[in-house]
Amino acid sequence: MARIRFTNVNKKYANGFHAVRNLNLDIEDREFIVLLGPSGCGKSTTLNMIAGLEEVSDGDLIFDEQVVNYVPPHKRDVAMVFQSYALYPHKTVYDNIGFGLKMRNASKEEIDERVQDAAKKLEISHLLDRRPSQLSGGQRQRVALGRAMVRDPSVFLMDEPLSNLDAALRISMRAEIKELHRAMETTFVYVTHDQAEALTLADRIVVMNDGVVQQIGTPDDIYERPANTFVASFLGSPPINYFDGVLEAGPDDEMAFVRDGLRLVLPADHAARLKGQEGRAVRLGIRAEDVAEGTAEPGYNALNGTVNSVLPVGSDQYLGMDFGGEELFFRVGKDLRHAFGESITLAVDLNRLHVFDRETGQSLIWNAA
Amino acid sequence: MPITPPVDTIDYRRRQKIGRIVQRLVIVVSAIVLAAYILAPVSWLVSSAFQTETEIVSIPPHWIPEEPTLRNFEAIFTAGNDEPVTYETRSGADPAAGDFIPSTAENLLPSMANSLIVSILVVILNLLVGVPAAYAIAKIRFWGRNASVYFILITRVIPDIALVVPFFLVIRKLGMLDTLGSLVITYLAITVPFTVFILIQYFEGLPDELDKAARVDGCSRLQALIKVFLPLSLPSLVAVVLFTFLTSWNEFLLALMFTQTSASQTLPILLASFTSDFTVSFSFLNAAGVLAVVPPVIVAIVFERYIVSGLTAGAVKG
Repeated sequence: MARIRFTNVNKKYANGFHAVRNLNLDIEDREFIVLLGPSGCGKSTTLNMIAGLEEVSDGDLIFDEQVVNYVPPHKRDVAMVFQSYALYPHKTVYDNIGFGLKMRNASKEEIDERVQDAAKKLEISHLLDRRPSQLSGGQRQRVALGRAMVRDPSVFLMDEPLSNLDAALRISMRAEIKELHRAMETTFVYVTHDQAEALTLADRIVVMNDGVVQQIGTPDDIYERPANTFVASFLGSPPINYFDGVLEAGPDDEMAFVRDGLRLVLPADHAARLKGQEGRAVRLGIRAEDVAEGTAEPGYNALNGTVNSVLPVGSDQYLGMDFGGEELFFRVGKDLRHAFGESITLAVDLNRLHVFDRETGQSLIWNAA
Repeated sequence: MPITPPVDTIDYRRRQKIGRIVQRLVIVVSAIVLAAYILAPVSWLVSSAFQTETEIVSIPPHWIPEEPTLRNFEAIFTAGNDEPVTYETRSGADPAAGDFIPSTAENLLPSMANSLIVSILVVILNLLVGVPAAYAIAKIRFWGRNASVYFILITRVIPDIALVVPFFLVIRKLGMLDTLGSLVITYLAITVPFTVFILIQYFEGLPDELDKAARVDGCSRLQALIKVFLPLSLPSLVAVVLFTFLTSWNEFLLALMFTQTSASQTLPILLASFTSDFTVSFSFLNAAGVLAVVPPVIVAIVFERYIVSGLTAGAVKG
């Protein structure tokens, strides 16, 4: 069991690349933290620093109360699952799983008991005599999980462990990883660029970009109350739609977003947070699913445009819409079929609008709280 | 409507078949010619080792001995046993009958032992120095990493013959002339760069994640190298063993410069000395030649089966 704390941690490489900038993060004992971000955002580097595979250039990395900046990986009680599995090809599945225990001088009986136990839980008991080359991708992934869980580590690290699996297997493995976290009662740090994985697995998500933490929060916080346009854009499928415009005050403390051909009156609680900001250049965000097909009054809480593309995705459909020369994407029910070039009116769910500063990209609603 | 083949067109099927036969024929004939070119001298060496001096010089030569004899080998193993080989004892013998043996014949077995000691030491030291060096360069990012690779490689740009004099001066200064140590040191200088280069290439091909996984699993850097990297690097290690053993076993120039007596002379030097006697006994020389190729052949046969590909299959998602 371990609590992990980063205080002002930086990671700079010899070539000058600044991979992680001033990271402050407190991971609670038994928490499931997901580091989410695009390639090169510093999430894997952060994970490697926890494992001891990358040195901390500046700042302190603390396990419980001990600074571990210079503690080598084999002296930290961590286990790690890699994206590429990293199984030892010359060893059998049994020896792969038991290797970590063997290196810690566990007795043969203990190794056997734990390996058999882990294999049973992961349903790979029948594969113990095989070598990694004789296993499928999913089986290799289970062996990699077994190798990590058999050691009962204080910290369980996972570096995009599901990204090499096919879609169906990925979803079932997600459930298994969540169950594993519940059963092991240990701290999990999980790296992914897949928003669905992050939202399903995490207690808290850390969104990173260019080595900087953008937002830390529960999946709900991150999705419903994004701190800036990067976070808002990174989560959601299709991505959030943006409109540039200005805030305009109305009667009775009313606040509206205005731009050519569009006027959206913001709900009262949004208006209260934006009080005194009238005239400010803002960027309005509407998530793809926050619209409904309707006949709301044009120019008020509705968007009018023409259908540009229709992409059915099974459960619903993605609708491409031309709005005054801008291409917007929305997710709508699959019942209504639309034709290319057809005029369409979409009613906007005003309670779910996001307002960002146009210059800084910071949320004017959620950061104001 | 039935499909009818077009008339008066080129028969591509037949053409392809003929092409394949011609291709196979060219490959087989080339292989036979190449094999004959390589095997003919070795075959003659082995065959003549079992012939008398008279049969060796007969025309036409006998590729298969008419009267196979082990006399040449007996002479090697008994040289110097009965009486010292002197000018008188040699001049009394009839060179044509094959009774003649060179004056340095009794040094043959000691020189073989010298060659073996030097070669084995060079192989072991190469592995001890080369493996950690290659691992460090391939898997640890440190300042001056690329510079050290170039430095190691650039030592091999200079031809060996240009190094003979500097080597000689150093060895003399160290008081190591006519010792096996002089050969071990100089052979290491020649072979270690190659060893490091071969192993760097191989280690770089092994996934970094394996190294990381081993270290997270409880291995120190050295343990990760020994327990994970070495078993997976067997093919390259075998290549290194074969290369360094054969280089040391066959080396002539430096051994000629640094060795003077049977205390340190290696096999190539001694075999060469047989040809500088007042008469050359081909039968004896060829039998000695056969003995000289036996150890490298054994080493090659023993280690060849470890040169297999695909050891890392299944390590990472392919």
